[in-house]
Amino acid sequence: MAEQPQPVKRRKGIFGGLALVAVAAGLYWSLIVAPPDAYQGDVQRIMYLHLPSILIAYLSYFLVFVGSGLYLWKREKRDDLLAHAAAEIGVLFTALTIIEGSIWGRTTWGVWWTWDARLTLTAILLLIYAGYLMLRSLIEDQQRAAGAAAVLGIIGFLDIPLIHMSVYWWRTLHQPPSILRPDKAPWENVHPTMLTALAISFVGFVLLYFYLLSLRYRVGEMREEIKARRLARGE
Amino acid sequence: MGPWGYVSLAYGIVWGAILVYLYSVKRRYHRAAAELSELESTEASAGHAKK
Repeated sequence: MAEQPQPVKRRKGIFGGLALVAVAAGLYWSLIVAPPDAYQGDVQRIMYLHLPSILIAYLSYFLVFVGSGLYLWKREKRDDLLAHAAAEIGVLFTALTIIEGSIWGRTTWGVWWTWDARLTLTAILLLIYAGYLMLRSLIEDQQRAAGAAAVLGIIGFLDIPLIHMSVYWWRTLHQPPSILRPDKAPWENVHPTMLTALAISFVGFVLLYFYLLSLRYRVGEMREEIKARRLARGE
Repeated sequence: MGPWGYVSLAYGIVWGAILVYLYSVKRRYHRAAAELSELESTEASAGHAKK
């Protein structure tokens, strides 16, 4: 039981290999093929990390939202394991988004940080899900911890539409979207080579994300099995 | 720092952090797998002893 069946291991290996190829292709397109931006120059290349990072964080929190909702409804451990694994990776990608944004902001705005609505709401998102992880480790009763974390996981997700709309609702230093705009198709606003670099980078991040998620989910599954076996043995 | 300095800093931090996380998850994975197979083998030997 400890070792996964051979076909599952092989599938994971293929998946990891594909992720590696896509990430390498994304780096090549982002750093070499894509042209520098007309106004920002080469610093704009941070976009090929920044946008995929935040989209992966959103995807993670969507999975936390779904897993938490299903856990509260059906009380099945696998849903809680999914939410927990996704939250951990989501926190990593949110922190990376803030760091990339800070470096990009230093060169374009002249500051590492400003209390802009979008930046502040993203920092709140990070705090909510870091709190989610802390909550799980602070409550000893596992079922209570999972239930409380699930509630926080669902409430935290409400911050994402606020982050998305913040650039429309408030006067922000952060620019409105260049690609996901309601009034223009992406290729009307961004150079096709830049769009291709972004798409390849995004595919690389998505593949890498699901590879990390499958590993992290399996760690949680094995830990549960160990706990159950130890309990059965009266340890 | 020039523009490529900032780009290198951002790419270095992001890929460095992702690699560190991947290493930490893989380590947890192998540790849990080893612990589980150890439990399985002690259970199996206890089962044989009973027979």
